[in-house]
Amino acid sequence: MALKADIKILVVDDMSTMRKIIKNMLSQIGFTNIAEADDGATAWPMIESAIKEGRPYEFIVSDWNMPQMSGLDLLKNVRSTPGLEKLPFLMITAEAEQGNVVIAVKAGVSNFIVKPFSAQVLKEKIDRIFK
Amino acid sequence: MPGESHFIEFSKPFIDAAKNVFETMVFTKLETQKPQIKSDAVSRGDISAVLGLSGDMEKNGGRVPYKAMLVVSFPYDTYFKCASAMLGETYTSYDPEIADLGGEIVNMIMGNAKRDLKTMGYSSNMAIPSMVEGKDHTIKYPMGTHVVLIPFTTTHGTIYMEICYSEAE
Repeated sequence: MALKADIKILVVDDMSTMRKIIKNMLSQIGFTNIAEADDGATAWPMIESAIKEGRPYEFIVSDWNMPQMSGLDLLKNVRSTPGLEKLPFLMITAEAEQGNVVIAVKAGVSNFIVKPFSAQVLKEKIDRIFK
Repeated sequence: MPGESHFIEFSKPFIDAAKNVFETMVFTKLETQKPQIKSDAVSRGDISAVLGLSGDMEKNGGRVPYKAMLVVSFPYDTYFKCASAMLGETYTSYDPEIADLGGEIVNMIMGNAKRDLKTMGYSSNMAIPSMVEGKDHTIKYPMGTHVVLIPFTTTHGTIYMEICYSEAE
């Protein structure tokens, strides 16, 4: 793996099973430093405090549909924060409609995965983001 | 059955999506068994994931509202085997760690089916999935809908998908 194994990753999803699946896949790919949040509203303060501590997250993997703060709103917060304009942000969604992709691209998403997906597809998307 | 022809076309995207979801994330193939009209409310499984859908569709040159619901029911043992396959650990009881797994499965099926429904002229808004658990539990179907039960055999056991649907006359 060309990327550092200990790149700091935050997985955001309101479904605990999906967080576990994504974490398992990231571990299979070779990543070792993975934190998780159960909503965009939980993730955002984690992202802010990681910046204050001088150890910012280097990659966000987020679900789109979450009850309090959606992945799209989390992405918009990230992109409007100085220093995070280019933070790699992978959006995951169950809704396969083309319109969603357009909305996410306009908001500055780095790449996009439609569920269901395999570890291989996740790896390919990550490779494209970090190439 | 009112709206029967649309019911058949409406069901197909869910079958295709279920096959895709189970093959990709549960690592098992679904073999479709003969669909049946269901006339009672008792689940054929012990754990059910339920997700509502509503919207409108083209009919008689105009657009009319429809309502629908997707249910995927698992016998306990099948649910635990699916959870074990998806999460890479062995589960033998319905614990909190796997309580939302069925919800995630119906979410993915519905999300995929929505894309095909859109090309067929259906607009659709998904609700939030819920779970029902217990031997012989019942499913609360939306008023006025008809239910088709589609059993699937898998290497983890039988899975029961129900699609209920009604459209305005």
